[in-house]
Amino acid sequence: MADNQEQQGLVYTNRNSLMNRLYPLVKLAWVFVIAIGLFIYKSPISGAVMFVSVLLLAMLAGKIPFRQILGSSKIILMLGILLMVFHFFADPGEPLLKLGPLTITDNGLYQGPIFFFRLSVVVLASFVLIWTTDTRDLMVSLTKVGVPYRGAFAVFLALRFLPLIQREVDAVRAAHSIRGKSTSSGLGHRFKLWQRYIFTILINGLRKAETTATSLECRAFGLYPTRTYVKDIHFNPWDLVLIVVTVVLSTGLIIIEKVI
Amino acid sequence: METNTPFIKATDVFYTHWNQDEPTLKGVSLEISPNTINVLVGPGGSGKSTLCSLFNGEIPHLLGGKFEGTVLVDGKDTHIEPVKNLSQQVGHMLQDPETMFATLYVEDEIAFGPENLLLETDEIIQRTEKLLEDIQLTPFRQNLVWNLSGGQIQKLGLAVILAMKPAMIVLDEPTANLDPHATRAVHELVLKLRDEGMTILLVTRELDDFILTAADQLIVLDDGKIMASGPVQSVLAEYGQDMLERLGIWLPETVEIGLKLRDSLKLNLPAIPISMTETLQVLADQNLLRGRITNCEPESSVAEITKKYPLISGRNLEFSYNNGFKALNDVSFDIFPGEMLAIVGRNGAGKSTLAKLMVGLQKPQQGKLTLFDHPASFWKVEALAEHIALVFQNPEHQFLTDTAYDEIAYSLMARGIVDPDEVRTQVEDWMQRLELSDFTKIHPFALSAGKKRRLGVATMLVCHPQVLLVDEPTYGQDKEMTQTLMQLMEQIRAQGVTVVMITHDMRLVQEFASRVLVMAEGKILYEGDPAQLFASEELLHAANLRPTLLQELLKEYQDRGGQVDCLIRNTDQFLEALTYTLNLEETNGG
Repeated sequence: MADNQEQQGLVYTNRNSLMNRLYPLVKLAWVFVIAIGLFIYKSPISGAVMFVSVLLLAMLAGKIPFRQILGSSKIILMLGILLMVFHFFADPGEPLLKLGPLTITDNGLYQGPIFFFRLSVVVLASFVLIWTTDTRDLMVSLTKVGVPYRGAFAVFLALRFLPLIQREVDAVRAAHSIRGKSTSSGLGHRFKLWQRYIFTILINGLRKAETTATSLECRAFGLYPTRTYVKDIHFNPWDLVLIVVTVVLSTGLIIIEKVI
Repeated sequence: METNTPFIKATDVFYTHWNQDEPTLKGVSLEISPNTINVLVGPGGSGKSTLCSLFNGEIPHLLGGKFEGTVLVDGKDTHIEPVKNLSQQVGHMLQDPETMFATLYVEDEIAFGPENLLLETDEIIQRTEKLLEDIQLTPFRQNLVWNLSGGQIQKLGLAVILAMKPAMIVLDEPTANLDPHATRAVHELVLKLRDEGMTILLVTRELDDFILTAADQLIVLDDGKIMASGPVQSVLAEYGQDMLERLGIWLPETVEIGLKLRDSLKLNLPAIPISMTETLQVLADQNLLRGRITNCEPESSVAEITKKYPLISGRNLEFSYNNGFKALNDVSFDIFPGEMLAIVGRNGAGKSTLAKLMVGLQKPQQGKLTLFDHPASFWKVEALAEHIALVFQNPEHQFLTDTAYDEIAYSLMARGIVDPDEVRTQVEDWMQRLELSDFTKIHPFALSAGKKRRLGVATMLVCHPQVLLVDEPTYGQDKEMTQTLMQLMEQIRAQGVTVVMITHDMRLVQEFASRVLVMAEGKILYEGDPAQLFASEELLHAANLRPTLLQELLKEYQDRGGQVDCLIRNTDQFLEALTYTLNLEETNGG
């Protein structure tokens, strides 16, 4: 059993948390509410408040270990910081500090964090959705609001294929390295190698996709406009509390920005 | 049989794939009675998989192409009947069941089909529970479908089909890459299904005594035509020799012996023996279970081999994968120059991991691994590739260029041979040796399975490695192709190359191995003489391996008064030794 092993990375785990039990569509809507707020905020403080609240929600209501949060968002946080530093120098405004040919402006110093939070909070919120939601449940809830199940399933199938593709990539990479080193190690040669990677994986992927499509048809997929879901999920009106609280918090922040 | 109305009746079926010019099926006529096991065999490329698509509506409704003739399923014409009805009556399990899976978890996968049929939730749950039980996957119901073993994937594929409650199932090589135990488990399941009323068409490359005894009809497909079909006995009696020699189909060693007794020794057999008991009966009836067999290879040359200084040597190796799976546990072994070593064990025993360590794709986490006088940490994969070559299970993975010719040339240039004349001579030489000369300009992906494999081997051999590692020589190959490949291995071994093969095919071990390494659950259980492995029931049992039928037979032979003093590697040797012994007795006696 893999229970004692800590699950890492960007994968769904059922930790029996509050966020796990939430209706998937509510969580999806929540990500959008957060994103809208972040594009309206004019102060980095509002972004920071949202950052902290999403982080707390993930840890307390989602029971996601801090290490996993850090592990998955490392790259995004770094990108965010780069984006912030870029804004320090690039935004027009009163120069505050001169570093050679570069100048840091007061406006840049203010805009940088806004962009940092825009990126990091939206990504973090979507991570919370991924960590706490079974893809199958998300798909089922999408079909319930009228998305045709064939469409919703396409997304689901793509996910299903990812590990197969990963395995294929590993096998091809191993096989190629065993062919020995080539005399030309120039860029052109590198490019050819990559082309070959993609060719092999694409061909095998297409072959698989073709048989999968036929096989789905034979398993009566798409036979009727609807289908049964053994593991049905049910919407609980209380789930909306998350949305309400988030909207109130977000609007509150916008009003405070205006007042001050 | 004649009184039964057939469940399947195909008449004069011609079928051409939409992307091909030549028909794959050329006038197939076939009847399948309800509630029978029908076994279909035929060489690679004879149209077996295409034939499998005829009954559930894939042909003509989903696959396109040109379809002539008629196929009746339970009396209904597949030209007219829609796929939705046909596919519920006939379930088709694909060669690679993983491509059939549509969901993430085992239990969801079984429920998927019935869910599409809009069945009641209770009914679906009931079906799922029963099938999980039948395929012994209940403890794994929450597993991700890609975290299953090869045998479990096959069983889940079967359950997925059975969840639709079909009247007939078509199984396309369900045991192609399974170890003997997993194969037997699948076959037992098939037998149980027949006894419950199911009609079964089973395509296979390995006919074992178990499935042949159980089969009601044997169908032989050759180049898109049905060469023979009917009760197993009559097909074997009439076409057995042809299947063996011309089509290169694996038959159980018991059947091989039966055919040879009949044809070479001109014995009058009432029937071709299939099971061990039948074969012993035949030998007893013909008064052949006596005498002391001495005129074969002397047992064991192992002492000779192990005197030399090893090329590769591992001591107390440990290796675990990221997911915590411990693949190697305190593994110690040596590989000596010039030997033909077989690494055997069931799926998941650690054989492939050991191979990865030897070619440098992985490094041992603990223990000492010496490769060609240097520690493993010294080597880069690319540099190591000049000493040890690995022939992959799927040769497509290692192709890098657009023609078969360039593929071999690439290997030469990677070794620093740049003179165009030199490259051309060498490529042409290898092309000829591997019978690929007519295909120099063909794209490697467009070659047949057997030629892909040969090309894969060629790209490795041109580098003149000291050690050649072959991962599953039988994978996706019929008998003829495997034999060609193995003969090639013998040849290069004669030139001093060390050959290591990873396999769970005990017939290969019996026939070719000079030494054997037995693995189970990440440990080495045995290293040494193959004859002793075959002699030890305990060891075979511990490693979850099955002795070959020939070895079982030899054991029985000895139990019943005969004596075997040397190593017998195949049925030819057995028959030769037997006749020699008997002739000797006659001369002495007369």
